[in-house]
Amino acid sequence: MTRGERRAAALATLLWSVATIGVAWHALHGIDHAARSREALARAHALQGRAPSPAFPMHLDVRELSALQQDERPLIVHDPDGSELVTAPVKDADDWEIIGAVGLYSRWREMAISTALPSFAALLVAIGLMVGVRAVRTVGPRVAAVGAGALFGAAAAATTLQLRDAVVALAPRAAAPPALERLALAPPSLAFTGLLLALLAVSGALAVATIHWHAAQAERPARVRETLGAWSFIAPSLAHLLVFTIAPVGFLLWISVHDWDLLSSDRPFVGLAHFREIAHDPLFWRALRNGLVYALYVPVTMVAALGAALVLDQPLRGIKLLRVVVFLPYVASTVAVALVWQWLLHRDFGLLNAALATLHLPRVDWLGNPATALPALMLVSAWGQLGYMMVVYLAGLQAIPQSLIEAARLDGADAWQRFRLVVWPMLRPVSTYLLLTGIIWSFHGFTLVYVMTEGGPAHATDVLVYRIYQTAWEFRRFDVAAAMSVVLCGLLLVLTALQWRTVKGEAADA
Amino acid sequence: MADLALAHLVKRFAGGVVGVDDVTLTVGEGAFTALVGPSGCGKTTILRLVAGLEEPTSGTVQIGGRDVTWLPPRERDVAMVFQNYALYPHLTVRENIAFPLAVRRMAGAELSRRVTNAAELLEIGALLDRKPAQLSGGQRQRAALARAIVREPACFLFDEPLSNLDAQVRAQTRAELVALHRRLGATILYVTHDQVEAMTMAQTVAVMARGRLLQEGAPLRLYRDPASLAVARFLGSPSINTVAGRTTGARFEGALACEARVAACADAVLGVRPEHLVLGPAMDAAPAQVTLVEPLGPESLVRLRLRSGEELVARVAGEAACCAGDAVGVRVAAGTGLFFRAADGTRLA
Repeated sequence: MTRGERRAAALATLLWSVATIGVAWHALHGIDHAARSREALARAHALQGRAPSPAFPMHLDVRELSALQQDERPLIVHDPDGSELVTAPVKDADDWEIIGAVGLYSRWREMAISTALPSFAALLVAIGLMVGVRAVRTVGPRVAAVGAGALFGAAAAATTLQLRDAVVALAPRAAAPPALERLALAPPSLAFTGLLLALLAVSGALAVATIHWHAAQAERPARVRETLGAWSFIAPSLAHLLVFTIAPVGFLLWISVHDWDLLSSDRPFVGLAHFREIAHDPLFWRALRNGLVYALYVPVTMVAALGAALVLDQPLRGIKLLRVVVFLPYVASTVAVALVWQWLLHRDFGLLNAALATLHLPRVDWLGNPATALPALMLVSAWGQLGYMMVVYLAGLQAIPQSLIEAARLDGADAWQRFRLVVWPMLRPVSTYLLLTGIIWSFHGFTLVYVMTEGGPAHATDVLVYRIYQTAWEFRRFDVAAAMSVVLCGLLLVLTALQWRTVKGEAADA
Repeated sequence: MADLALAHLVKRFAGGVVGVDDVTLTVGEGAFTALVGPSGCGKTTILRLVAGLEEPTSGTVQIGGRDVTWLPPRERDVAMVFQNYALYPHLTVRENIAFPLAVRRMAGAELSRRVTNAAELLEIGALLDRKPAQLSGGQRQRAALARAIVREPACFLFDEPLSNLDAQVRAQTRAELVALHRRLGATILYVTHDQVEAMTMAQTVAVMARGRLLQEGAPLRLYRDPASLAVARFLGSPSINTVAGRTTGARFEGALACEARVAACADAVLGVRPEHLVLGPAMDAAPAQVTLVEPLGPESLVRLRLRSGEELVARVAGEAACCAGDAVGVRVAAGTGLFFRAADGTRLA
């Protein structure tokens, strides 16, 4: 193992360790805080009207008290000896006056530290490798791996206990104000504990593997070494992907088969009920149909973009400036574009209608008429996307070897034949890419609808993402919205799979 | 087939760079002419002017007596084989070969007969349903050739067609191209920077430098009787040895001395081919030191340094009798020296 390799391996481990520590720290803090908030609210609710205490906890100052009264949300305060606790107001039987508070202490720091312990161990090994300490080598790879495994087992056990402690019992403190209810808590969610333990198990296995790898890599064939090296380089982004992409998707799937709202902690499993509901929702089908019609702007824009690219591919003076001008709309903020176009398309003051008026044609309420609203949105989308598609086509055109065009000229092909028989087939991968990504993006389309029409008039521009947004944030039906998102996700997955297959096919041809 | 005639062809590029400077060249009907010269000498530009891919600044191009100077490529009836073959990657070999016929609206039995013939001539009949990406370099080369011959053009243009092949395939393809030329009786203008290709394949070699045509003629004539130092230097490998000196009218005097029955010139250059240097003690031999011996099997190259510092290469049959470090005498075999004016490189007569 060369010095450079050792450095690289150590650096990878170091990165991985830091990432694990960060992830664990954040996850635990968030989980602990959220769990305590929920529990505080639930307990406060259960205590409502029981008037257990004569007075408020004295350490809540006026500002904090008014915050409690106004928001009726959990509030983080500090008790006299500085410990952080989450409080929730307890109200009287009329749900009018605040008569007490529930406070839960946090133990997330201890939890995070114990979770991070194994990572620290890996970190130490990494540093050791980096500075050339060969302790791991001398005890042998097996012993090192077993040792790391044992370290992990101990840390995991400690963390489990800590976790249970933290969520099972509110820490009783002598210094707590007498008015504060001291409550025993049931575990808020086994799922969180499970998630944490899974995280621990995975990182533990990773650390053991890494240490074993460090110690034994001299004996390993280069292929395996490279594979492991590659994985340890990927690990930080993999962790990011897991936490911020895969976990939310899993959460979405979970919500879609449960009755789920923000306020109630009772979330029963309902199977496919939400999917049945959207299947019978005419507005959902309307949105789907609108989405399919809206997607038609993609092929139309592609034709225009290819035309523009063919023109802008000519070596003329000032052509670069023209390319920039065509590309500009794509760079502009969608919201700004939407506002400008809203103005252009305005029934009374719009430029478009002014032009129609000078031609003695009747005015059209572009965005107010159900028959023209969706085509108007498609026009704006086409205008915005034209530059991007043109640039992609231009790149595609310029990637075609000049000698192929020259060969076609010598072979006797006229301009149209050169385009039809050589240029267009050579652009096929570009076209496929633009078509599929364009359609995928058109199904993501939200901003224009949100800013320009809000789905109206009469749901004429109601597309899936807008439907999801409205269902979740206006009707507060997060579970139904999640089910719609799952359907949309499935649709896009099919399109993406199609794109992959096509791209692969093209690659095999080239 | 038809002859190809270039008259006073000039190509000046934007920015004033002269690519081709007053070139007049004729390729007879059925002749194989190679255009050679160092990179950037304008030989490919000439090819593109003939193909119609570039427009000349002045001068004319005639094919079969017809002035095609201002005609678009497809009306010139020429076929070109590109250095990178320029096969259409999205078409099969069959479709590639059929392309020139298909764009001329040929179809059916005639088209498939001609495609099959061309493919069989180049022995790629079994590859017709493959895409270019599935072929080796040599096979692509053949497919590109088949596409060129399928339409039976008035003349063929080759733009360094062998330079992307490895050495073994290149040698084989050289012989095959010559055989193909003989069989088709085609008029060929062949551009290459490799003098070996030019010497071995072409009936006529035209040497270019800096946009100008320096000399044309049969390969061996150019080799033995170059009109200028540039031509002498370009042909032959290893390159011709040069020694500075002066001619008196009877002798050349310099680091090497020899008989020179040419005009007297105070500032002359002796050019002598490696095979014309004789090693061994002799009356008029110049003392030299052997710096390197390169045995090639049937012959050896002996690199020498004269006392005055000039480096020479001698080619001797079989194994060399000397080895590096030896002191030897070297002289020019009688009547083999070529003499040039140092000032402009022209041959002294």
